[in-house]
Amino acid sequence: MEYEFHAHRITGGIGADDRFWESLEEGEFRLPRCADCKQWMWPAHFRCGHCGSWEQLWEPVEMSGRIYSWTRAHYAFDRTKERAEDVPYVVVVAELPGADGARVVGALAGPDSGVRCGVEVRGHIDPPSAKSKGYPAVRWSVVD
Amino acid sequence: MVNTMLRGTTAVVGVSDTPWYKRGTSGEPALKLVLRAIVSAAEDAGVDPSEIDGFVSYGSERNDGQRMMPALGTKELRFGALVWTHGGGIPGALGLAATAIVTGQANVVVVYRAMSEYRGRRLRVDVAQDDTSPQHLVNGLDSPAQLCALRSMRLIEAEGVPARTLRDMALASYHHARRNPRAIGRDTELDAETYEESRWVSEPYHLFDCSRENDAGSAVILVSAERAKDLKQKPAYLLGAPMGAASGWGMREESGNPYWSAGFQGVADRLWADTGYGPGDVDVAQIYENMTGMGVSALIEHGFCTPEGAGEFVTFDNLIAPNGGLPINTSGGNLAEGFIHGMSLVGEAVRQIRGTSTNQVPDANLSLMTGGPGDPVVSTALFASAAAL
Repeated sequence: MEYEFHAHRITGGIGADDRFWESLEEGEFRLPRCADCKQWMWPAHFRCGHCGSWEQLWEPVEMSGRIYSWTRAHYAFDRTKERAEDVPYVVVVAELPGADGARVVGALAGPDSGVRCGVEVRGHIDPPSAKSKGYPAVRWSVVD
Repeated sequence: MVNTMLRGTTAVVGVSDTPWYKRGTSGEPALKLVLRAIVSAAEDAGVDPSEIDGFVSYGSERNDGQRMMPALGTKELRFGALVWTHGGGIPGALGLAATAIVTGQANVVVVYRAMSEYRGRRLRVDVAQDDTSPQHLVNGLDSPAQLCALRSMRLIEAEGVPARTLRDMALASYHHARRNPRAIGRDTELDAETYEESRWVSEPYHLFDCSRENDAGSAVILVSAERAKDLKQKPAYLLGAPMGAASGWGMREESGNPYWSAGFQGVADRLWADTGYGPGDVDVAQIYENMTGMGVSALIEHGFCTPEGAGEFVTFDNLIAPNGGLPINTSGGNLAEGFIHGMSLVGEAVRQIRGTSTNQVPDANLSLMTGGPGDPVVSTALFASAAAL
């Protein structure tokens, strides 16, 4: 499969999360864990710091958790200008019990009135778009 | 156990900042600005610029020593290095300079930073280093203001620290700037109402919670404690400047712990252990506040208060010179004096030891300067007068 995000490569950060984005483009939400000691490894990295293994398993994880933190962005900065028309928009850090509390970022979908730390959220996947800089994206929604 | 090799064995003897310019208006490239700051810091110290043989900076500073030596008339460049990663590295740069001096690798070391939008790319390259991860950019997170906002929101909603502490940090900085003729924000009369009514940048941060963007150069010069005695200024002895990251920290995007941390877990403890002092001994502090809330986290992690006690400690009255319990950011700091990636806070920490701040704390003998909060690796420094050695 040809992955669209490859053509829009963002090079910052650790750079071990290609499989995450590939999975999203395939319509699946997967996070990495160590193939040997089964420790969840998020953000993705190249070697397990607990047991030393270089192998990871990318396992499907339920897109369900709680808001660990959030912000309402009132200004579209230089590299996120594609979202100028959405300002103000809310970005959520969700903590996922299905992956030992890994925290995954996503822009909020739907009403933002109930946004607060601890609130339950459910996720879905958006296909690559200009707003998400040519990458697929996780979106979180507050559970009523 | 006190670190006898580094404690009080070197001192800052020269400091200087260029004037502050709103970004893009200095008309001079960063290299020229930093040369001005270094030459002026050398004059302040009473050493010839050609004697500087060590060059230490942090972040993505591009004005390396080898580029400056033709203009400084450098007799010999003996030491040069960059300390990781962003503003978190400033005290670490002082510590590295001190290490070079006490190990005999260099004699006169300058620690410096300069930024200019003129023919440069100040924010994206010089500050952010074009190193923002796709996990952030894809989801609409770009600016350090937004990334720090996430941490401060957690501090407020989950740790119970009142949002009012952010406001009081800002009010204290702007209050101090009023008396600093060099401060860019000296004419801004910030009160609680103006703060609350200012526009949001990224909640919980208002406009006045965020540091400025300036063109400027800033430099300090270190020599051995022995040599410092013979120079022009009252020495500000460096007692300690540990850098590092605890096991739950480092580059972990949004999964670091504790999430509200400014990164000083373990690092602040080592500062107190290395220097033999504790938070209760500090007379005055320059708290790097890229954003106010991260400064509150830094105060908590240095042991000035607990998260539960932050509401009581972080008040305007307690944070202002001359009589607050812990006057902070007495030049106006990154919010109200100007922002050159935090570097000017070092000069102000030194001026407090000299007794020459425009918001002087009486008899300041112990002066703290904390590095850029929220960085994946941070550092923190304590200066002393001869009386507190």
